[in-house]
Amino acid sequence: MNAKNWVAAIALAALSSTAMAGSAWAFQEAPMLSEMVEAGSLPPVDERLPANPTVVEALSVGEYGGVWRRAYSGPGDRWGPTKLMEERVLKWTADADGTAVLTPGYIESYSVNEDSTEFTFTLLEGLKWSDGMPVTTEDVEFWYNDVFLNPALVPTIDPTFAPGGVPLELEVQDERTFTIKFAQPYVYFLQILAKDSTGEPSLDRPSFLFPKHYLSQFNDKYASEEELAAAAEEYNVAAWTDLWGSKGALTGWWNNPDLPVITAWKIETPAPAETVTMVRNPYYYAVDQEGNQLPYIDRIEHRLFQDPETLNLMVAQGQIDMQARYMGLDNYTFYKENEERGGYHIVPGLDSNVWSLVPNMNTTDEVLRGLFETEAVRHAMSVAVDRELINELTQSGLAKELQTAPVMGSPYYSEELSTHWTEYDPDLANELLDEAGLSERDGAGFRLRPDGQRFSLVVEANDAAHAKTLELLAENFADVGIEFLPRVIDRTQWDNNRANNDFQMHWIPFDRLTYVPADPRRIMGSDGYANQSFKWYNTDGAEGMEPSAELQQIYDLWDQASQSASVEVADGYVSEMAEIFVNQGWVIGVYGAGTVVNIVSNKLHNVQADLVQDDIFRGVGLARTQQFWIEQD
Amino acid sequence: MLAFIGNRALLAIPTLIFISFISFVIIQLPPGDYVTAYAAQLRHAGEYISPLQEELMREQFGLNDPMIVQYWRWISDIVLRGDFGYSLEWNAPVSTLIWDRLMLTLAISSASLVLTWAIAIPVGVYSASRQYSFLDHLFTVFGFLGKGIPDFLLALILMWLAFAYLNMDVGGLFSPEYQNAPWSFAKLGNLLSHLWIPLVVLATGGAAGLIRVMRANMLDELGKPYVETAYAQGLSEARVVWTYPVRVALNPFISTVGWALPALFSGDVITAVVLNLPTTGPLLLQALKMQDMYLAGSFILILSVFTVVGTLISDILLAWFDPRIRNA
Repeated sequence: MNAKNWVAAIALAALSSTAMAGSAWAFQEAPMLSEMVEAGSLPPVDERLPANPTVVEALSVGEYGGVWRRAYSGPGDRWGPTKLMEERVLKWTADADGTAVLTPGYIESYSVNEDSTEFTFTLLEGLKWSDGMPVTTEDVEFWYNDVFLNPALVPTIDPTFAPGGVPLELEVQDERTFTIKFAQPYVYFLQILAKDSTGEPSLDRPSFLFPKHYLSQFNDKYASEEELAAAAEEYNVAAWTDLWGSKGALTGWWNNPDLPVITAWKIETPAPAETVTMVRNPYYYAVDQEGNQLPYIDRIEHRLFQDPETLNLMVAQGQIDMQARYMGLDNYTFYKENEERGGYHIVPGLDSNVWSLVPNMNTTDEVLRGLFETEAVRHAMSVAVDRELINELTQSGLAKELQTAPVMGSPYYSEELSTHWTEYDPDLANELLDEAGLSERDGAGFRLRPDGQRFSLVVEANDAAHAKTLELLAENFADVGIEFLPRVIDRTQWDNNRANNDFQMHWIPFDRLTYVPADPRRIMGSDGYANQSFKWYNTDGAEGMEPSAELQQIYDLWDQASQSASVEVADGYVSEMAEIFVNQGWVIGVYGAGTVVNIVSNKLHNVQADLVQDDIFRGVGLARTQQFWIEQD
Repeated sequence: MLAFIGNRALLAIPTLIFISFISFVIIQLPPGDYVTAYAAQLRHAGEYISPLQEELMREQFGLNDPMIVQYWRWISDIVLRGDFGYSLEWNAPVSTLIWDRLMLTLAISSASLVLTWAIAIPVGVYSASRQYSFLDHLFTVFGFLGKGIPDFLLALILMWLAFAYLNMDVGGLFSPEYQNAPWSFAKLGNLLSHLWIPLVVLATGGAAGLIRVMRANMLDELGKPYVETAYAQGLSEARVVWTYPVRVALNPFISTVGWALPALFSGDVITAVVLNLPTTGPLLLQALKMQDMYLAGSFILILSVFTVVGTLISDILLAWFDPRIRNA
């Protein structure tokens, strides 16, 4: 899909969300809520919903009720539960053929000015927090003045929200409309919002909104020092600022059942309970195409598990209704065998990672760096890999043999890039290496580097599950005279080696290859093949290592892209970045685009197949969880 | 006797201070800290936090302070206010976390301890008094098997058998529908249907070793003159064996009470992880893996207190039980 279509898709989605305006509309609600309305503890559904609720086109109109059972591995897995219900002004959602489309959420409309410096949003009329209080621009002002610009809570503003070093500015028009202004063009702001929302504190918060009527009592602009100290005491934290932040006792919404939210579900029993539960938000702002208030499902239960094998048992026993997290492809046969018994089936998703060998282009071993910088050597290493064999033996042939390049489903995908240097050709590799002056060999048949040492590579991985793959790769490399020494090490050590620039080659799932501009750091070398050069770029040469000319070209292109006035122009630069990155062959992609196993109960409906699983698209959020439904007996 | 107890109690104080400091330091020895571990865990799941966010978290948790400052903050709260601190990972007070899981842990480990002794003592006595009989050989074979098979493997096998052939709901202590339900007879029944696997696993592992100890001790005692004298007096075999040598042979059991106490508190870690038991052991393991030092440190400190107290108790029990020790 080209840039124009993306814009068109966004506009279409905006249209369809307002299409219901004006039509006489009778809304329906869940039986669970009807009971509360009858008992008088809740106002009727028409008063709870916005005047023109957002319409979420459900794959099929569902039934109300039921509990969605899944599992989580502990507090570190907080994104598993929270990604099910993230809210953004614009959120990635899947359209009918699975393409990710930016769709307005709790806003009625939005507009962007010509040079992408001003973004205006209008909140839905009658939008309410989960306690029934109205959501207005007062909540936006509270977020901006008392949280975002409050140095006690946000000591340093993330560059993402301060391009060129100037933080974004807020201008409020009326009760529902506000404008965000930047000092320079910021074309990808909407895409960045869709991924990172408005940043710390609390990455999972809806963009721009903090419930003022609840949180002001814990904010230093409104509460006295004694009140703040009392609050810190009550929640058992050292200082009142600890109440805030994404893990804070107050604002980390999955810790605090009292916090008003606008998400489809809200927390009912928080961790450390053995089973964390979430219950529907009676004020959720969206309906399906027939005017049924969403979500369909009453509750979500997340059961704690310690060991992956226990999770597999839960699956086989039919105790998981829908989950992709922690479902490994290596257990595919087991899941298939127990489908009938557990009453579920597998809905395939598309993995967006490309498993890759990442040479350290900044390695301190100068001879090795010289070799990595030689194009023929990189070419040889890439064509030395027998991708088909590895895919067949380790992935049951369910993945694709790929180069590290924008993946299918990405607007920057090109088949040519994805197959660049992927043809298995050990003869060519030997030839290339000979020509590069590495024709001398030692007694064991390994090539000698220019300094007379054996050409060997220590390759570090952090998961023993990949030992088999690495052994196959070692054979491939041995065939062309390169000694490949796999090491599976502890992941903290692994991370440290990367951070301290103390590695030769890493084996990683190369990700963020879908919507590249939402997070271009990966292909710019950050946390990967040129961490030190990226540091140099980030600190204007104060730290790190000077980048090569080609890498500098990528950085320049990104600077141009991020300051372009329109998405089309910017996308041109991003495509060029991707081309240079792939054609240089700095990273050796092996396989990717594999199957993601979604375990789905036979009673749970509306899970779309073949969706890309990616952090940028917010994982399962792309599938629009609020329109999932469970058959009731 | 009072002086003996007082002396022991006083000695325990420096021991505990030393243990608390050492454990706090050791937890922090691996490279990185809680935030590094957290970021690595996120990255493993394909999610990211920026270096800036990492820095903010470090600041918030006070991880940038020198270790001695962090240690002092932690230990002074415990000593002065009885506050074990706040778990970085769980975002909850350490005491709540441990307390929540303590009841079930104690229930499982005391039940398995009683079961272990109920198996080990009679079998050990029988094996010794009928040495080299058929049953003795049989028990020996089972004893070595029980000792040789790791607990977690046995747990996995039993789980698989129960799952594949008995069609039972396995893993955890409750079926999902009873998890958050209030206590009822149905819930109790559900608990019992889950409890047998951990009990069998823990009891067999423990009993196998104790049978050997009991048998060896009994063999030492059975040949002694006082036993012969008792027989010569015309006492029945049951009376002789159970009244005299068994009591002496029980000494090692009593001196291990000191270790049993902390074991009761932490349960068996690996087995609990494999069986998905909501006990304290997996909590400790996870805290160590994540360098969640307040939770792990407090945990180890409590375990050490129990070990010290347990040793004291077993010393007293031994002195009370065996006059030779009391008067030595």
